[in-house]
Amino acid sequence: MNRSVLHSTVRFAWVAIVLVVIASLAIAVTADRPALTSADRVRQLTEDFACPVCAGQSLAESDAAVARTIRATISTLVDEGADDNEVRSLLVTRFGADIEYNPSGSGVISLVWILPVVVGGVAVGLLALAVRRWQGLAPVRSVPRRPSFLIGVTVLSVLAGLLLAGTVGSRRGGSALSGDLRASTRTLLVDASVAPIAEAIGLYDQVLELQPSNVEALAYRGWAAWRGGEVDQARTDFDNAVTFDPAYPDVRVFRASQRLSEADPAAAAEDLMVLDGLAAPPVVGDLVAASRLRERVASELARLGEVVAALELLDSGLASLDVSDPGGIAAALWAHRGWILATTGDQGLAELSLVSLDEAVAADRSNPYALAYRAVVRVAILGQRETGLLDAEAFAALADQPPELRGLLVARGLLPDKEN
Amino acid sequence: MTVVRASAIGIGLVAAVLIVVLATGESGTHRMTAHLVGQPAPSIAGTTIDGDHWDLDDQRGRWVVVNFFSTTCIPCVREHPELVAFHEAHREGDGARVVSVAFDDRASAVEAFFRERGGDWPVLANATGGIAVDWGVVAVPESYVVAPSGHVVAKVVGGVDHEGLDLLLDRARAG
Repeated sequence: MNRSVLHSTVRFAWVAIVLVVIASLAIAVTADRPALTSADRVRQLTEDFACPVCAGQSLAESDAAVARTIRATISTLVDEGADDNEVRSLLVTRFGADIEYNPSGSGVISLVWILPVVVGGVAVGLLALAVRRWQGLAPVRSVPRRPSFLIGVTVLSVLAGLLLAGTVGSRRGGSALSGDLRASTRTLLVDASVAPIAEAIGLYDQVLELQPSNVEALAYRGWAAWRGGEVDQARTDFDNAVTFDPAYPDVRVFRASQRLSEADPAAAAEDLMVLDGLAAPPVVGDLVAASRLRERVASELARLGEVVAALELLDSGLASLDVSDPGGIAAALWAHRGWILATTGDQGLAELSLVSLDEAVAADRSNPYALAYRAVVRVAILGQRETGLLDAEAFAALADQPPELRGLLVARGLLPDKEN
Repeated sequence: MTVVRASAIGIGLVAAVLIVVLATGESGTHRMTAHLVGQPAPSIAGTTIDGDHWDLDDQRGRWVVVNFFSTTCIPCVREHPELVAFHEAHREGDGARVVSVAFDDRASAVEAFFRERGGDWPVLANATGGIAVDWGVVAVPESYVVAPSGHVVAKVVGGVDHEGLDLLLDRARAG
């Protein structure tokens, strides 16, 4: 293939590519689209406007109260027959031009429309020039190499780009040079839940900056602070979370744990009893059960002489259980109830404790607390050695033997000490 | 001058202009609020938590403090006693009125809030989203002072206090 044929072929290919691109764009722009439903219009509109307080999130993305409010208002307006321009006009009038993601064509903002065209034109020109050079159709001229000039232009361009990124779209400029695009509060909360303590606190701080009364962030920041030893911060966060939403179950568990650690079992019991009246998700009940928080609070109350309060706390927990509990939680609570009665030192109450312990074993025959406590009560308090040893044997057959229970049975002579 | 060099100079100049303009410009976030002061107050009408109909237009001839709040916002909780004091002080005297508009809140929570913390002025808590948007409210608490003419004469972002509201009213009355 000679040189002129090659040039013709290359030129034809370029012309073909340009024609295909132009035709594709024209078809994409002019193609008929199906009519939008009201829901589609609301979604499009909410994507076209910024959340006024969130910095970097659209109305559609934001969880902020103002975003929810504006979304609802847009939906109402659309249902009432307002067209898109009327909605845009209302929002711009009420919240200012910066709420609109599609910039206006006037003033400095018009640069956003003009610059891409200018830059595109320059780029096409430079590309054409480069192609001509490669083809040897243009005389090769040496370009003076001036590093300082090129470096200056590069630095200016980068700075301009960063400032543009930090300003366009109403991102908050003060936090990061690149404009600090933020994740949604839901994403931040999910990230925080698996982050190390210090990082999690930072993420919760970000959520609370966006939504100062986000109860989940307050509760979990408090919990992270508590685990990190920042006691005052934890206490404040828990109290604020309870003030904002007394019905948020997680914070009741956290604050009960904090209050127990601070030797205030009565206040801890108060939180747990409020928790019992809430429709808490099962995972919260599992958390309380796994940590034996209720039993520990009850024990502390009983140790301080508040036996009735301890029993009320355990009874409240039992009353709050639903049918989904397979028996494990109920067995643990019944067992602890029986144990508190048995350890009061009152013979009558000790005899009564057997009723609770029988309930515990009936609820779950393999509950280690039920078996161990009943064994001790039967043998050491009620003198029923034979049946007590049967419970001890049942305990010894369990795969899961909490060390403190095994120690209790060994100390009472109901199990052999393996170490000896 | 080569085409490449001319293009580079052009881009550099545009970048320099952008830097100056953008670096000296106002942050978009701070501008994203409407400035109602000096304009006619948008409409507020609806049923209060006591079941009465309330309309801002019926208050012409009186000074009105319009307070947007939420029961779950700390500054709102903190400012509430100040609003109670302001309301009590002006109830009989010059007749300045307070109206509260709940923002993204449940009516039951608002009722409980006022039952526990006091305050017997009109409170709108149902379907108030449109009112908040009309007033350009972006975060509570926000309060506005509406003159007897029906124009907004002052706006307070954040919590208010009794003394500050009195000062605003005095200044507004002085003209």
